[in-house]
Amino acid sequence: MLDPYLKEALVARLTAWADDEVVLAQRLSEWVGHAPILEEDIAIANLAQDELGHAKVWLELRQELDGSDPDHLVFFRDPLEYQNAVLVELPKGDWAFTMVRQYLFDAYENLWLKEAAQSAYPPLAEAAGRILKEEKFHLRHSSLWLERLGQGTEESHRRAQEALDTLFPYVRQLFQLLPTDEALVEAGILPDLRALEAPYLEEVEARLERVGLRPPQGGYVPKSRQEHTEYLWSLLAEMQSVARWDPEAKAW
Amino acid sequence: MVKLRIGYPEDPDYGERLAEFEARIARGEKIEPGDWMPAEYRRQLIRMISQHAHSEWVGMLPEGAWIPRAPSLRRKLILLAKVQDEAGHGQYLYHAAETLGITREEMVAALLSGKAKYSNIFNYPTLTWADVGIIGWLVDGMAIKNQTMLAQCSYGPYSRAMVRICAEETFHHKQGKEAVLLYAKGSRKQRQMVQDALNRWWWPTLMMAGPHDTDSPHTPLLLRWGIKTKTNDQVRQEFLNEHVPELLEAGLRIPDPHLRYDEKTGNWIHGPIPWDEFWKVINGEGPMNRQRLLARRRAHEEGRWVREALEAYAQRQLAQAAD
Amino acid sequence: MWGTEWPRFEVIKQDTQHSPPQMVGSVHAADPEHALLVARHVFVRRPAAYALFVAPAEAFFHVSQEGLKDLAPRREGGPEEAYWVFAKRSHRRSMVYGDLVGRFLAQGPEDAIAQALLQAQGVAFWAVPERLVVGTEPTEEVVESWFAPAKDKRYRLQSYYGLITAKGVEDA
Ligand SMILES: [Fe+2]
Ligand SMILES: [Fe+2]
Ligand SMILES: [Fe+2]
Repeated sequence: MLDPYLKEALVARLTAWADDEVVLAQRLSEWVGHAPILEEDIAIANLAQDELGHAKVWLELRQELDGSDPDHLVFFRDPLEYQNAVLVELPKGDWAFTMVRQYLFDAYENLWLKEAAQSAYPPLAEAAGRILKEEKFHLRHSSLWLERLGQGTEESHRRAQEALDTLFPYVRQLFQLLPTDEALVEAGILPDLRALEAPYLEEVEARLERVGLRPPQGGYVPKSRQEHTEYLWSLLAEMQSVARWDPEAKAW
Repeated sequence: MVKLRIGYPEDPDYGERLAEFEARIARGEKIEPGDWMPAEYRRQLIRMISQHAHSEWVGMLPEGAWIPRAPSLRRKLILLAKVQDEAGHGQYLYHAAETLGITREEMVAALLSGKAKYSNIFNYPTLTWADVGIIGWLVDGMAIKNQTMLAQCSYGPYSRAMVRICAEETFHHKQGKEAVLLYAKGSRKQRQMVQDALNRWWWPTLMMAGPHDTDSPHTPLLLRWGIKTKTNDQVRQEFLNEHVPELLEAGLRIPDPHLRYDEKTGNWIHGPIPWDEFWKVINGEGPMNRQRLLARRRAHEEGRWVREALEAYAQRQLAQAAD
Repeated sequence: MWGTEWPRFEVIKQDTQHSPPQMVGSVHAADPEHALLVARHVFVRRPAAYALFVAPAEAFFHVSQEGLKDLAPRREGGPEEAYWVFAKRSHRRSMVYGDLVGRFLAQGPEDAIAQALLQAQGVAFWAVPERLVVGTEPTEEVVESWFAPAKDKRYRLQSYYGLITAKGVEDA
């Protein structure tokens, strides 16, 4: 059993992870029916399902802790309550933007999930291990795209570089701790995300350079998961529109 | 690559070959790529399979629009998987047509130019979330009746694609039925929404099976060569007999004042179908024809640089391997 | 220029460690590595798979039942290479794919099929040079990350929904 403070901290952490996945899945799902070729349409629908499935896993772990209803959290929370990173809420952009973001996020997930699979909280360790398997395949897929866009045509290179220039500063937000995370790290429940930033940057920058892309210097890094862009409101407004349309509905 | 053997009526051995071919079909054998076939058999198959593939692909759009708005995590996962399956069905079917020596590029070009047809049903808009349930239960329900019949098709690759597709469609049908039954017993707004969706989709669904047999010129030949094994009216009848009692049991009203049960035959008999509308929609005058085509063209145009990039990358790899 | 659809790769799927690899369809992709990846997305949405292989569609030599009698394998003492030969065993049922018969050292695809005919009956045969076949590695890690996750996507299976009736909804 977790003591009440740790429990609350873990609830906050699980929610932040889930929010990342929900919002990313939403952006991915906007491609379904509109991808550059039929096979990739099928692929991107898989990515969206997988990420959404991960959100469900995190919210179900939270449910075990505090009895909260996953659907209620996703469909009835206001934008200011969402704890997702800015990286995942930016509009889907072109295929380069989507694939570069996917690569940056998949690389991050592969890294911290590997650590979280050793968590002292067994349900988290088990879930992280399971999700990691799927994320390994994601990383294969997004790395493959990164390489081909980086080394395809001048146009694809330009688009991938532009996407990277916009996205790269935001990845640093992923390694920030929530105010309550420290206690989880101390208890061995949560890997110290701050310590993962350097290995992440090393690995990702090396790969980017191998495929001819230049990781940009500087850029704005949000200071907490309270920060958002103006895009989040409309993303959530659409996502929650049916669920909120009929408050009397007991089930969907 | 497969070398096709195609027979033309002017070939000296055509009569003899045709007799052998028809005997094979009568024995229940599958015709495979590379086996002798009449040119007309190939032409009809390419027409049907490519239209069918286009329908699956375009069919992603009306439901796909609701993925971002699905009202629960479970429904969102289900709808993602369902719309994804439709892409998969398109993918399997284009493959089946490709075995007949047409390229996917040619088929896609015909679709984008507006020359090729696809199922009329996808030229209607999805106005509310309940449309997703009704499409799954009824539109896919009708599709399954047609596809179960086509799984018996004499052409091996088409029949194999159909067997796989039918297995997947059963999930589409069930998830739709589950949602509709839930909403039919749900809140006031849910009940209204699902009845409204049924009102709008009922007649277009019945028309999906195609014109009455008396107005369907290809049917006799398609039956003789085992491309189809049932007529349009038979397929429509099977659909009605399964779905009408279940819709009524759910407490929904079917928008056909003439609908009646015939004790003698055990069939549900529908009233007059608005065929004028059918022909208008098929000829481009439906509510969403332009939107559907524009969406497909836009994705195609916006994807061009992506396809070129991967081609350039692959060509460079090939050139390096050759050095 | 390849045009808008990229080249076609045949996809060969092996469901379990002990079942034969089967020709299940094809994908359009830019290169073999890409083809293998999208093949996983397209053909392993549902369980089960143990291995996947792809090879360029144009590299397959195909002969149907009718062509078998004209099959003229050349054996002229030239160099040999390994071929994978697939056979469709019967015309009767719907769900019969080309199953892998085996791997044959041969001077050409006709020769490979002629050798396969000594082992297997069939109504259609395919042969492809092994050097053009690209597949997943038969490691636990690949199986776990490429194929096992499909098992958790139960909502894709019709069995997940059980029997659905209006009465059932009322009782719930
Ligand atoms: Fe991922
Ligand atoms: Fe379908
Ligand atoms: Fe369907």
